[in-house]
Amino acid sequence: MVHHQYDDVWIVIPVYNEAPVVRAVIEHVLTVFPNVVCVDDGSSDGSIEEIAVTRAHLVRHPVNLGQGASLETGLAYARSQPGAAYFVTFDADGQHRTSDAEAMIAVARSGEADVVLGTRFGSGAGEQQVPRLKRVVLRAAALTSPSSRRLKLTDAHNGLRVLTRPVADDLRITMNGMAHASEIVQHLSHSAWRVREVPVTIDYTDYSRSKGQSLINGVNILFDLSLRQRKG
Amino acid sequence: MPIQVLLIASVLLVVFIGVRRSPTIHVQAGKRIAIVLFAIANVYAVLRPEQVNELAVALGVGRGTDLVLYATVVAFMAVTFNVFQRFQQVDRRYTDLARTVALREAETINRERGLTRESQPPVLHPDEHRAP
Repeated sequence: MVHHQYDDVWIVIPVYNEAPVVRAVIEHVLTVFPNVVCVDDGSSDGSIEEIAVTRAHLVRHPVNLGQGASLETGLAYARSQPGAAYFVTFDADGQHRTSDAEAMIAVARSGEADVVLGTRFGSGAGEQQVPRLKRVVLRAAALTSPSSRRLKLTDAHNGLRVLTRPVADDLRITMNGMAHASEIVQHLSHSAWRVREVPVTIDYTDYSRSKGQSLINGVNILFDLSLRQRKG
Repeated sequence: MPIQVLLIASVLLVVFIGVRRSPTIHVQAGKRIAIVLFAIANVYAVLRPEQVNELAVALGVGRGTDLVLYATVVAFMAVTFNVFQRFQQVDRRYTDLARTVALREAETINRERGLTRESQPPVLHPDEHRAP
């Protein structure tokens, strides 16, 4: 096997009913990163077959559990792979850029940060592309969440993240649904890990827009977070 | 009116216990005692409706029936929270189970697809779940 500069990086892609795009997304990621694990979350649309023809590792949830659960499963799988040192969470709908992931890994490698989070709102990010209502709500969420404020985050719900090994070993995502993003931020804000935000561009396509989070889901996220149980 | 203080206090108590993170043994025992007391109170109320009426008047409620209704609303809330918590607990175990199955299967699949160099079983860190 040829030595590769990203041999120690694992890209974790949660997949749920993304058959039309997932193959192209994986193929593209594989041109840059050799190690990709896709967690199929019980898709019913042939996503599994699309993943199976690529060189990405495949983990199949026997039932649909949610995006948070898929990320946790993917991270558990990647952690068990020899030589894994950096873990990148990446969306399956093609809205992230591999160049952004590379820039974030460079920051993590430099030793300046233990966790690097993508933000749509930093200077240099493609802020204009975020639909206006979404921009307002996301900014409000980041500004009103105590955890985000403590970490001085501008965007708490970006799917592109880079975790170094110690953080990945330490983090356990227990929120199976969409509240995992807030859970991760909360966890980081209660830890001593150094968190850095790096501006990234989100390519909102018609496809990703149709699959995206509806804003009303924020209500569900708040409800889940406030009623969750801590580990006993 | 005393009933208002009593009702608001009990609703707040139910919400507090429901939202609180780790349920302790005390809460568990408290719930069971509450169920038994509620059952005894119900039997008593059926046998001696006039005393329920007196209690209702003393608390500032017009009729015994209303008092029973109020108590039922609070009990219903408590039950709802309890069921919700139990569902969350079951959900976590179910997730751990599904994840273990998925990771075990993935090892085989990806080895057959020629992707893994050396096999190393994934290490799981399941949360500890105590039976309630």
